[in-house]
Amino acid sequence: MRFLGRRLAALVLLGIGITFVAFVLTELVPGDPAAANLGQRAIADPAAVQAFREHYGLDKPLPVQYVLYLEHLASGDLGQSEQSHRPVRTDLSEFVPATAELAVTSILIAFVLGISLGILSAVRRNRLTDQVLRVISLGGISMPVFWLALVALYVFFFKLGWVPGSGRLDPGVLPAPHVTGLYTVDALLAGQFDVFVSAAQHLILPACVLAAYNVGLLTRFTRSAVLEVINNDYVQAARAKGMPERTVVLRHVLRAALPPIITVGGLAFANVMTGTVLVESIFAWPGIGQYAFHSATTLDLPAIMGVSLFVAVVYIVVNFVVDILYGVVDPRIRVA
Amino acid sequence: MAAVSRPRNIVLTSLVVAVAAVLAACGGGSNTPTNHVLVVDKSFDMKTADPQREFEVSGGIVAKALYSTLLTFKGSDSATPVPLVASSYTASSDAKTFTFKLRSDIKFSDGTTLTSADVVFSFNRLINIKGNPSFLLSGITVSAPDASTVVLTSSTANPAIPFIIPNPALGIVNSKVVKAHGGTDQPGADKSDTAEAFLNTTSEGSGPYTLKSFSTTSEVDLTANPSYFGAKPFYNTVVIRNIQAPTQLIDIQKGSNEIAIDLSSDQAATLSGNSSLQVKASPGPNVFFLLANDNPKISRITPNKHFQNAIRYSLDYASYVQLAGAGAIQTPGVVPSMFLGALTPADDAQFDLTKAKAELAASGISNPTVNLGFPSDFTLNGISFSTLAQKVQANLQAAGITVNLTGSPISTALADYRAGTEQLGLWLWGPDYPDPNDYLVFLPGQLVGLRAGWAAGADPSLEALGVQASSSTDNTARGHLFQQIQRQLNTDGPFFPLIQPGQVVVATKGVTGADYNPTWTIDVAGAGG
Repeated sequence: MRFLGRRLAALVLLGIGITFVAFVLTELVPGDPAAANLGQRAIADPAAVQAFREHYGLDKPLPVQYVLYLEHLASGDLGQSEQSHRPVRTDLSEFVPATAELAVTSILIAFVLGISLGILSAVRRNRLTDQVLRVISLGGISMPVFWLALVALYVFFFKLGWVPGSGRLDPGVLPAPHVTGLYTVDALLAGQFDVFVSAAQHLILPACVLAAYNVGLLTRFTRSAVLEVINNDYVQAARAKGMPERTVVLRHVLRAALPPIITVGGLAFANVMTGTVLVESIFAWPGIGQYAFHSATTLDLPAIMGVSLFVAVVYIVVNFVVDILYGVVDPRIRVA
Repeated sequence: MAAVSRPRNIVLTSLVVAVAAVLAACGGGSNTPTNHVLVVDKSFDMKTADPQREFEVSGGIVAKALYSTLLTFKGSDSATPVPLVASSYTASSDAKTFTFKLRSDIKFSDGTTLTSADVVFSFNRLINIKGNPSFLLSGITVSAPDASTVVLTSSTANPAIPFIIPNPALGIVNSKVVKAHGGTDQPGADKSDTAEAFLNTTSEGSGPYTLKSFSTTSEVDLTANPSYFGAKPFYNTVVIRNIQAPTQLIDIQKGSNEIAIDLSSDQAATLSGNSSLQVKASPGPNVFFLLANDNPKISRITPNKHFQNAIRYSLDYASYVQLAGAGAIQTPGVVPSMFLGALTPADDAQFDLTKAKAELAASGISNPTVNLGFPSDFTLNGISFSTLAQKVQANLQAAGITVNLTGSPISTALADYRAGTEQLGLWLWGPDYPDPNDYLVFLPGQLVGLRAGWAAGADPSLEALGVQASSSTDNTARGHLFQQIQRQLNTDGPFFPLIQPGQVVVATKGVTGADYNPTWTIDVAGAGG
């Protein structure tokens, strides 16, 4: 409980720190939100500019703006976005699930493939399988994601027709009633299987593209972690007892190798949740990455603040979960 | 034991989910659009579906489909306003009073009859919201002597009004319903009007479509309005999707009943051999231009008229057209080729390096170095301003002028441009409405003139011509006056018009009527099959 309390306190402090830094940095940028959001005529109309500044509170001194922001934040109000004209909280509730659906699917693919291939690579160390997998994993890490996304779209949608094109659903297909914001889950909850199929079809390719980097990363980390323990005495003892090699690897080797894999996996998940802008752009996926990009380019301060807070929360929560998982897989950490 | 089995379970569960997703994906687009659905791919700049607040390209497409206007244009034409909700209109001889008679058979999507009260409410709401499109009715008073008549009275002569009225921002809303959901047309509406959220979920217009779903980031779905007074649109459903240009290029080749409107000329060129697509590239209405600041406090070099002439002659205009690709043309003046008062190619500025060097020598400035500001992250019609700026730098270098590229992201570059602090600037002007009055901003003391440090009184004869052109009611005379203004701008002004980039519209075979119009981009109700 103390650990949890410390983490929550850190979350609040970090959140306040993030909002402060974002406020100051946005003020330092030599641009004007009114100029970025109003049209070429409206910006020349003092009444329109004044109305814009008053509406978004930009007519007040920065410290006052910041204090007001914190006051509203305390009641869960993240302000109104200058680009979408909606509450930032409403925007986030729409965009975060879109990215989460993509990120969770992607990270599941990455974990399954990355850990499996990493173990295989370690078990067959320096053999042809290992060498091929090392080259493939290096490719996964090295390939620019926007290039991979375009090539994947071209090959699997345009040439082969195995998957549909961009977007979260086929044109004209409406999402199921909003429950979680995850289209696949909401469709299943509503019993709309056709919507589920459409959502799953649209999800698979961007998720695989997004997973490519992490598959490579996890393959290499898993291989390295497994090799560190695969010849330890207790592993040899397990073999000497006559345990099948599969059991030895999965029960004794992988368990000992898991902590560093969990660390990397946690960071990979946080990165995927917060760094999907290129994949989202190419696959027309309306997620938090695109929202963050548009917010930054239009100096949409409330949205920038909302996204910054979201990113901070993701990293804190992921680190927290990783710490908990350490205890689950390694009793020595749990006792400590 | 338990600690080991948990990761294994996670792995197995993940595997099952992944396999399920792959299996589902193997269907390969079983829900592809049926023939009654038109798909429009557009890179969104969408902010709202509220007609009195929208003034973006994407918002214009949506508002045009949902709301009717007093006047409109046919197809790609933007030179002749024709009645839509109005049955007829008259203008006073001084171009200050415009009287519109309304049709009596027009109903909103809920069956309510449209009256002059709805027009007055919509127009006053636009004015008092003080948003992006409010300037369209600046200085105009709206009144309704009876239920079928609307009168617009301008404080100054404004012959451009019939060209402004077709703008989708002047779409007429159902005043009773919008008022009931927080809308107001009274002064102070910028603070008190709260109808935007409602209008983002429900359309309250009399256009050919109604709003089915609206998202500023993913897609907007429209469905045919059964109460529409005009011809029933061919496509019962329209889906406008937020898709970036590289993805549009792939999607359109696999699509059916689909239109892509963000492809660059280069991208469109890759589709030229595709018999399943129709590619239309024509000069667009945006004018890219270079400016040299006339304010000696900003630069001691750029106000020099010989120096400005040196710039004018050193620009290799043909190479800019080539860079812009299919559909692009050199623009001889600031008014684009499709509008009243546009100059003809006979007035094109000519590239002449010898003259450029002679003008530079006559300026008395040796080895000049100037800064060029531009939006470094901005690309329009497939043309990157960074690439254009490099070309300007190379052209001017050949004439003996050193140019430092001082581009910055558009949100910051705009601040310098609008403050009039750039020595040289590379920018564009897109039409707010299809009338040459919109280009008076380039005159001394006007919006863009001031950005080039060209203060009021700097060129009295040109300013007098501007006053005359803006108030003339005879379109032929106006056209001649605007041509005269532009010729004078080309010799005495600090602006150097470069190009009108091509506007590309790609449609799948069978889709008809996908015509580009500068006022609303694409009229989805005009598309057929």
